[in-house]
Amino acid sequence: MKLFTKSFLLVMAMLLIGEASVRIFWSRNMSGRFEYGYNLTSGFEEEKDGRVHLVRAGGRRFRPQSFAMPKPQGVFRVFVIGDSVPRGPGMKKAYPYQLEKILREKGIRAEVFNLGVPGYGARRCQIVLKQVIQYQPDLIIRHINWTNEYEDEREYRRAQEFKSWHPKNWLMKSMLLARLNEIQTENIFWRLLPQEVRMQRGINDDDAEIAASQNDEKRRQWREFVNEKALEDAKIIKDAGVQGLFIAQAKIRKTVKGESYLDDEGMDSLLVLLAREGMHTLSMKDVFIHDSNLKELFSDGSHLHPPGHQKMADALALELIPLIPKQNLK
Amino acid sequence: MAYWLLPHRTRIFLLILASYVFYGIWDPRFPALLLVPTIVDFFGANAIDGRRPASWKMILSSALPLLWLVICRGTGLAEIPSGAFIAAAFFVVLLTIVHSLFWLLQEEIRRKAFVVFSIATSLTILGFFKYFNFFAESTRSLLTNMGFHAGWVLPHIILPVGISFYTFQTLAYVIDVYRRQQKACIDLPTYALYLSFFPQILAGPIGRAPQLMPQWQEKKIFSPVYLHDGIRLILIGLFKKIFVADSCALLANACFDAKEPLGIAWSVLGAVAFTFQIYGDFSGYTDMARGSAKLFGIDLMINFRFPYRAKTPAEFWRRWHISLSSWFRDYLYIPLGGNRLSQNRMFLNLMITMLLAGLWHGAGNMFIVWGAYYGLLLILYRAIPFLDNLKNKGLFAMMVTFVLTMLGWVIFRSPDAHGFMQWMAGFLKISSELPWPGPAVWLVIHVVPLGLLQFLTRKKEDESELTHLAWPVRGLVYLLIFLLIVSTSAQDQEFIYFQF
Repeated sequence: MKLFTKSFLLVMAMLLIGEASVRIFWSRNMSGRFEYGYNLTSGFEEEKDGRVHLVRAGGRRFRPQSFAMPKPQGVFRVFVIGDSVPRGPGMKKAYPYQLEKILREKGIRAEVFNLGVPGYGARRCQIVLKQVIQYQPDLIIRHINWTNEYEDEREYRRAQEFKSWHPKNWLMKSMLLARLNEIQTENIFWRLLPQEVRMQRGINDDDAEIAASQNDEKRRQWREFVNEKALEDAKIIKDAGVQGLFIAQAKIRKTVKGESYLDDEGMDSLLVLLAREGMHTLSMKDVFIHDSNLKELFSDGSHLHPPGHQKMADALALELIPLIPKQNLK
Repeated sequence: MAYWLLPHRTRIFLLILASYVFYGIWDPRFPALLLVPTIVDFFGANAIDGRRPASWKMILSSALPLLWLVICRGTGLAEIPSGAFIAAAFFVVLLTIVHSLFWLLQEEIRRKAFVVFSIATSLTILGFFKYFNFFAESTRSLLTNMGFHAGWVLPHIILPVGISFYTFQTLAYVIDVYRRQQKACIDLPTYALYLSFFPQILAGPIGRAPQLMPQWQEKKIFSPVYLHDGIRLILIGLFKKIFVADSCALLANACFDAKEPLGIAWSVLGAVAFTFQIYGDFSGYTDMARGSAKLFGIDLMINFRFPYRAKTPAEFWRRWHISLSSWFRDYLYIPLGGNRLSQNRMFLNLMITMLLAGLWHGAGNMFIVWGAYYGLLLILYRAIPFLDNLKNKGLFAMMVTFVLTMLGWVIFRSPDAHGFMQWMAGFLKISSELPWPGPAVWLVIHVVPLGLLQFLTRKKEDESELTHLAWPVRGLVYLLIFLLIVSTSAQDQEFIYFQF
């Protein structure tokens, strides 16, 4: 009896043909599940008709939006990059959508895209920035904070591990198998199962995250890293000849007496550095500092309710209108 | 390939080493425990057969568990409490005394004494590690309910994986030798391998000596058939485990771990999902175990034969976990009198057998209820002619048995009586707490391929046999199975039967 049977050889031949086909026809169209967002094209699907669709990236998703790759003439294009704060409680309830609405009402042909992805920290925001800078933006709004670095680091580690040749990664080195896995995940797992069922697959490392966030040395490292990345982002934006606006996020804290106040955790000094690099800056603390009803504006310590988003949109519109060239007016 | 290049005797030692290392990975202390029934039953069976071992051989062998514990502590592999050393040392003394004393007895009494000692040793170990806490806890609850204060603190006892499987395997061997149906094995390494063979030690199939022992003794040469069959079985096992069982587990867990009833749709979904989860999980493991053994040229017994095609509960047990159900039949039900005595006695025998089969699965009230449920079903099917005649109704009988089996799995899966009642309460709730159409489609997607696979193998004895198909069809089936495995994204779940 022969070592290799005909049926085995048939399987191998079909796998090889499938692999070659995927590499030739679908190589770019990957949502980067195994790169955990650490790929320029993660979450961006470019169609042949010139449209770009924002989709899931590494298990997380952009809010579904699409735009034309060559920017329509006379349009002021804005990309908002950040985490769950700018992403907001819903597409139309988040400030990027409201900002676009205000700008249009003011007669400006603007399109504002919300690229907030929950848990995205400095590393992955920079990857998103590097990708969208190719799509002819007029302005990049970049949110900065120090709270997502744990997850960013963890996912970065996983992405690096996946690049290794450890046997557990062998199968997914095949583009055919990786693509099939992605199709199953996107079109069956995510579409058919409710979140409560899907959650069983989630990584639960809350304890490790809390421990890391209480470690002073770790926090200091994260802050330095965020500063470094923010300045790199400023350089990328500047080199591309685009305007940049950095928003320092703020958190609600309580005084000993139990009174709420906003804390930007010392991010104002980073804003000063960014301003020196020619970037526009805005602090959420300044936007909400005169509000006594923080509970109505913030859903928790750092995320906003729709009225909070509206207020952010109003504040941003005031900042942006002077920056918009006249040719973008209708 | 290294295995096949080695001389026959060395292969046995290599497999023993691999098996003990594999078992030790779960907990470095477990191999010491496994050595105890190995040594007791090896020398016990030989004594039953009238063969007296040299004392030095027995003493040296019985010191192996102690030696292993010393190595564990010395190398820092595991923390060993001093009580374990005392028990291991006591084991050497006990075995020496028992053998010295028993050999003074007359032959027939000696045979009985040795078989009782062997069985008692195995059941004591199993009882202590698996059931001690359960019965102690139950007794404490009972005393507390009766108004007595039972303030004892229960020790933390780790359940060694696979203990129920290898205990039953060694019991079968000793009883067979006592019944003179099997010659005692005269080679300790062969017997050690019989009990520890790594593909089957964790979750069976529970092997029988007449089937396995000759295979170890036969000097085999490599044949590509071993490789083909082994890979085929492993592939099908992975498909059942990863694609079917782990995907169904997402729904079953959502249903049975919910804090409140999710509604009628989810009660049905959970029951169906668990029915296929446990089948995919356990039969998948068995296929992988059989496939792994086949790579070494060893045939393990078939453990599943299309169980959900059964037309009666009795037939279900002839198709499900065959190595366990046949064990209970041969070593409990028939010795109790089986169906040779009065009808009432047969009913009692059925109930005792199924209660113990339930208890075998775990120290928990729901396992006992599950056993009682099957005991009752078997009795009802025997007592009521209408039910017995159902087996002639084909598809209808199959559907009735499937629903009854599903209800049994709900009892099995429910964490406790409250959990079962909560599942029942789901039927009173029309609206659903969670959306169910999507999960229902998910379930269909993950069960239908299994059905199609079984349709292809429906006429074969072995439900994982595909060699009768034309090679292009077979190739296509392998390809699809492989693609379904790698594309699945369900969470990895531990094998359910490892806990037994």
